[in-house]
Amino acid sequence: MRDAARDPATLELLRVQRSRLADRMRPPWWYLAGVAILWALVFACPFSSRYLPQGVPTWPIFVAAAAVAGLLQWGLTRATGIKLPFRNLRYRPGRPVGIAILVVFLAASETEFLLIRRDLIVAAIVVAALAVVAEMACLQAALRVTRRELRGGGGAA
Amino acid sequence: MTAKAKPDPLIHPITRLSICGLLAAGADWVEFAALRDAAGISDSVLSKQSRVLEDAGYVEVRKGAVGRRPRTWFRLTAAGREAVQGHLAWLSQLEEAVSASTGDAQQPRPLPGDRDQPRRVLPPLLGSS
Repeated sequence: MRDAARDPATLELLRVQRSRLADRMRPPWWYLAGVAILWALVFACPFSSRYLPQGVPTWPIFVAAAAVAGLLQWGLTRATGIKLPFRNLRYRPGRPVGIAILVVFLAASETEFLLIRRDLIVAAIVVAALAVVAEMACLQAALRVTRRELRGGGGAA
Repeated sequence: MTAKAKPDPLIHPITRLSICGLLAAGADWVEFAALRDAAGISDSVLSKQSRVLEDAGYVEVRKGAVGRRPRTWFRLTAAGREAVQGHLAWLSQLEEAVSASTGDAQQPRPLPGDRDQPRRVLPPLLGSS
């Protein structure tokens, strides 16, 4: 077996191997499509207050969305062979993207509610569509951060 | 990262170092095929070396199946993570020392006090006396 200390390119080799691992972290088309549909459902919720009859609960939509999100994540783990740990906003490299996702969600939802209340339905639809695009851009950025962390060793030298 | 630089003989062989280094890259669990492809090793080598690491308590192995396909997942234990980080820190120090010494060898050293001839240099070994 090769000895790491006698091979000056050991760490370089490890960098190459980590780069190969990071390259696997590219989601298949169905994952991106599924997430886009989920966000579209989420940003369609403000319209329910106007178009769904009173008394119809919206929580089943959220439960279904959470279930589909879990399923998509499971599928991504299976497809890539990499299961990432759960990360919240305390995870520094992913914090800007995490904050961006939250800000886009809150801002777009509030704007939609305002526009729907003022009967500006087309504008609300445009805001929802832009919000889905923005959230997908955030997802791509989050995946880039993940790949960069895998390449860099995620804190390990 | 503030891992104490310490060589670990168990993960010193390059195949085991590759496995541990990949598992320490930031993923929670890594599947057999992903690890094999990234490390560029064969199935049998990965099986054999992962068993050694598992016996040492450095790697946790989870076996399952999707349909008829068996699926094996690996992850580093806390002890394994500590050992890998220490070993990688030690290797980094080694790499820095090597690059510093080769850098010194490449950079000409001026003669001490030789102001009149600033371009005149001695080879590194002679100049260090």
